[in-house]
Amino acid sequence: MDILNILIVDDEFGMRRGAERALRDVTVSLPDINGEVRFDIRTAATGKELEEKMNEGPTDILVLDHKLPDTTGLDILDRLNKSSLDLLVIMITAYASLDTAVTATRRGAYDFLAKPFTPEELRGAVRKAARHLILQRQARRLAEEKRQVRFQFVSVLAHEMKAPIAAVEGYLQMIHERSVGTKLEDYDRMIDRSLIRIEGMRKLISDLLDLTSIESGQRKRTLVGVDLSEVARQAVENVKAEIERRNISIQLDVPAGLSMEADRTEIEMIFNNLISNAVKYNRDQGRVGVTVGMTGDEVRIQVEDTGIGMTPEETQRLFSDFSRIKNEKTRNILGSGLGLSTLKKIVTLYNGDIAVKSKSDVGSTFTVTLHNNFSAA
Amino acid sequence: MAQILLVDDDQDLIEMNRTVFAQRGHTVKVAYSSAEAQKIAQSEEPDLAVLDVMMEDKTAGFDLARRLHALYPTMPMIMLTGISKEMRLGYTFQPDETWLPVSKFMEKPVNPRVLADEADKLLSGRQ
Repeated sequence: MDILNILIVDDEFGMRRGAERALRDVTVSLPDINGEVRFDIRTAATGKELEEKMNEGPTDILVLDHKLPDTTGLDILDRLNKSSLDLLVIMITAYASLDTAVTATRRGAYDFLAKPFTPEELRGAVRKAARHLILQRQARRLAEEKRQVRFQFVSVLAHEMKAPIAAVEGYLQMIHERSVGTKLEDYDRMIDRSLIRIEGMRKLISDLLDLTSIESGQRKRTLVGVDLSEVARQAVENVKAEIERRNISIQLDVPAGLSMEADRTEIEMIFNNLISNAVKYNRDQGRVGVTVGMTGDEVRIQVEDTGIGMTPEETQRLFSDFSRIKNEKTRNILGSGLGLSTLKKIVTLYNGDIAVKSKSDVGSTFTVTLHNNFSAA
Repeated sequence: MAQILLVDDDQDLIEMNRTVFAQRGHTVKVAYSSAEAQKIAQSEEPDLAVLDVMMEDKTAGFDLARRLHALYPTMPMIMLTGISKEMRLGYTFQPDETWLPVSKFMEKPVNPRVLADEADKLLSGRQ
């Protein structure tokens, strides 16, 4: 429940009391943001008193009579404009003076009420102003949050991109200065490491493009029948060199011909990501189990590994941007920290979910659920 | 010949700096996090430490510098940082006896040879 502070400024005592009574028990519901607003009401009889009351505490809505003993509503509007306070003014104009109303609106009043008005008219105007104010503030807050998130993202991204450049640059300087002598093979390790860092950087860039294309909603999605067993097999094929080198076995349990209505690229991203993670973070001679099944319209993809696993704290951070779990076990494993956050975004396109169960040094199980009729849902 | 402690969460920066320091006859101990560095430093005083700033969090290196300084008030420390640019501070850090008790700041990327030169300078000043 939000409280908005209303200040009623009128030199007639009866008006002030009437307005206060009319607004006292009013609540405004805001279904769009699931909120409700009540009012805290103060009154002032003169321009001087208005100033005092404004200094005492915040004012959100000002119900302002044009004709005051020591000033006019229009003059007050001018002063408010200069102060850039975050409030809305409802101007009360006497004798249905259209001129004043027009001028007031031009000078920034949100609304006007012509005397005489009924309590219901006053409540209506205040309700409208309250809704406008709350939604406007909400929009501003969201825009600010968005700017912050974007800034954070770009800062981390810049850091992640500079790290491999610094590494390659350092190695090149050492090679350039012949820092370990003149034998070429003494530089093999530096060259290998440089190539690995460059590969990491390329992966970061391609993951970044995947993430932004999913996030933007601009990517053209083509929904076709996608054969899940085929996509799973292809994903295993992509890690073939690594599983052979490290002697990791993969067990695929996908009913032949199991298919769902989906965008093929997105489904490929899901399988590639889960399976390559299960291999990357596995131990040598480890196992990976991939199980896919469908119940009703729900597709369930489960990828289980016998790898390094994670602590409960680590699993909590797992799905945010650039969240790489950094410890001595992951130091030699390349990763952009964007894969799982991209995956999470894809999964929401299918009204689905992604969950992880993990135990340090035992392994992790990732479970993705997707809905076949997501477009209708 | 000196005992150098290298602290950085980037494997390659550790590796290249270790190579250059070892070339000059120094013994090198490495830590990939400030927690690890504190553990290593507990057992034996290094002659000099090279610290990264951003490790476990954005300012882990600052905290580590203060802790190491409390342990070994006369040990020289070099801090490698990309922080004044990354945080858009618009100013560079100056070493400060209590707040940032390091001997020298170097803005990343740092040529390993230049880093080793600076370290040798600090070490010879100490003897």
